[in-house]
Amino acid sequence: MLSRRDKRLTIIGIVVLGIVLFILNQVMADYYLRIINLIGINIILVASLNLTNGFTGIFSMGHAGFMAVGAYTSALLTIPITQKAALLPDLPLWLANLHVPFVAGLLAAGLMSMLFALLIGYPVLRLRGHYLAVATLGFLVIVRVVLTNIESITRGARGISGLPGVTNSWWIYGTLVIVMYCLWRFIHSSYGRGIMSIRDDDIAAQALGINITTHKMMAFCIGAFFAGVGGALWGDQMSVISPNFFSFNQTFTLVEMSVIGGMGSMTGAVVGAAVMTIIPELLRNLEVGITIMGMTLPPLYGLSQLILAALVVIVIIFRPQGIMGRWEFSWQHFAREKKKLRLQRQSSSEQEK
Amino acid sequence: MKKKVVALLMVLVMALAIAGCGKSDQSDKSAASKEIKVGALFNQTGDQSSLDVPGLNGFKLAVDEINKKGGINGSKITLVAIDGKTDQTACANAASKMVDVDKVVAISGLADSNYALAAGAIAQKNGVVFLTSGATLPSLPDQVGDHFYLVPFGDNIQAYAGAEFAAKDLKAKTAYMLTDKGMDYTMTLAKYFKERFTKINGADSVLLEDTYQTADVDFSAQIERLKGLKVQPDVLYVASDPSKCGVIVKQMRDRGITQPIIGGDGYDTPLLVELGGEGANHDVYFTTHASLSNPSDKVQNFVKAYKATYNSDPENAFAALGYDSMYLLADAISRAGSSDPAKIVEALNKTSGFEGVTGKISYTGGSRVPNKSVTVLTVKENKFEFVKEVLPE
Repeated sequence: MLSRRDKRLTIIGIVVLGIVLFILNQVMADYYLRIINLIGINIILVASLNLTNGFTGIFSMGHAGFMAVGAYTSALLTIPITQKAALLPDLPLWLANLHVPFVAGLLAAGLMSMLFALLIGYPVLRLRGHYLAVATLGFLVIVRVVLTNIESITRGARGISGLPGVTNSWWIYGTLVIVMYCLWRFIHSSYGRGIMSIRDDDIAAQALGINITTHKMMAFCIGAFFAGVGGALWGDQMSVISPNFFSFNQTFTLVEMSVIGGMGSMTGAVVGAAVMTIIPELLRNLEVGITIMGMTLPPLYGLSQLILAALVVIVIIFRPQGIMGRWEFSWQHFAREKKKLRLQRQSSSEQEK
Repeated sequence: MKKKVVALLMVLVMALAIAGCGKSDQSDKSAASKEIKVGALFNQTGDQSSLDVPGLNGFKLAVDEINKKGGINGSKITLVAIDGKTDQTACANAASKMVDVDKVVAISGLADSNYALAAGAIAQKNGVVFLTSGATLPSLPDQVGDHFYLVPFGDNIQAYAGAEFAAKDLKAKTAYMLTDKGMDYTMTLAKYFKERFTKINGADSVLLEDTYQTADVDFSAQIERLKGLKVQPDVLYVASDPSKCGVIVKQMRDRGITQPIIGGDGYDTPLLVELGGEGANHDVYFTTHASLSNPSDKVQNFVKAYKATYNSDPENAFAALGYDSMYLLADAISRAGSSDPAKIVEALNKTSGFEGVTGKISYTGGSRVPNKSVTVLTVKENKFEFVKEVLPE
């Protein structure tokens, strides 16, 4: 548990984050804000992925599927009724006349994803390793095919446009703080210790009296819940969703972020998501052909993907556990470092004397 | 040591990227007065690149030509071309960057409706014109908003043209339809073909409507059902995507079906002949944006210029569409006398009879889908041949 000092520091940290966001919102152009918001959404998605993939050891590839469920649920609930009538004339009456505030839409998105996780969890979580990965990938395919074919509710491949677009930094980073708090509490509870022991050695965990099915299921469902919430935020920010958007690519991007950052760490999720969102945007400047010190480079489309791929390979070779590994950020760590520094300084000044 | 080298390399790359960032910001300030910034958002990599790479080539060619002639009303065009990577987030981010950082007055590009929706929404929100060079879903402008225009015809127009060509030129009284059920594009084509064909020939003129799934490769069941019809149809309308049209044509011709086959612009691909084989040479017609063998000066000059610049013939009609998009935009800016997006919208709405490589473009009656002539092609000796231009009623 957090000491009183650490609690205070955490609250100060959140307040500082709020102030920084406020200032950024005042001075930044929309494009940069968009990237900052995207980082927030990606952190939510990767943190929830880390809970299943990194902490529990269930290598799930169905994350984009849960995102899709969340995005569609929230879209159908939050699009204004008049607009819905024009967009989706064949909607069942109760759904056509239903409009809820955004926060309720987010919660519904999470709950719906959780429900799906519960349904597929029972058969799928019996599998291990790559069998499980492939089965969850199968879930993603099913979600896409269903979304493409129930045209009366989803408009099929045409996609739903005109989502309200209320998402801003406050919604995203507010949700992020809540998500991080929930995940942190879960990981540090006895259930959290339980899932980690399952990851490390499931037979030993079982021998200790840990109910493997319940623990795995719980982690899977919580991960899906936040994936749904993240998907809803993502869809709202894009203002248009289509089954094509929730593709293998989307899943792989998230897995990539998680692997780069460090699968078994929440800090890793933050670092991975931030790094892998910013780098492609920076590399874009290289692609379009630039002039540096008199040298003109021709446009090299595809370069950013190449560099990114090389980066992934390099990280996997030199640091297979990801940038953060299983290391977590903590105030205590800082305090220790500070103390060490102070002691060092003291001893060196004593030597000088 | 190794790690240090790698780290150094990464830092170098990042520094280069950031340097590039700084560069584009500087050029913003220095030359803002005498240039018009136009965004070209095409998917240069990924699944869509076979359509979008020629599209950007055509677009660039037009920019170069216009700048050589002195620009628009004396202002040069500066092209901001970003890769959409066939990824919705990348497309949306790119559009946002063009609008906020590069301050473009208009964006053009994208051959797929989904990506055009994602990018168009951002342009619309910021009051920037978006001209899609290749997406043909007729409902797009209504979905996105009043700054969104289609440069190609909508799928409804080409399906109408197909129906009119079948009824008037091929003198067909009855039709059979085969549609890919998994695609919005094919479903839209089928819907509008049926609408126009039954309007001309009466409600029961479509004898059978059959469907298949995108992944199907064996069409014998559909062909048997067609053969089993008591009255054989005069034409076959097969709405399929580029990957399947050749396969279907081959299987139909191999099994002794000889009626004319008609399709949409999905047939405008070398795959039609490669997969269709000899069968494609017999009475296969399709509607598309332009014919490169069309003898008109406009088309031949474009083909010549394209060949001179890129050392190859235009790969498909999307090159011509990219080319037309830029000229259409330039035309609107010069008529507006200003590069203010609101003025450009006004001018675009008044576009009437603009002569492009892909036909005449008019935005009449408040529609932002052009009322445009459709080219009908056929296959002769493994080559596409121009049949006629149709302007559907």
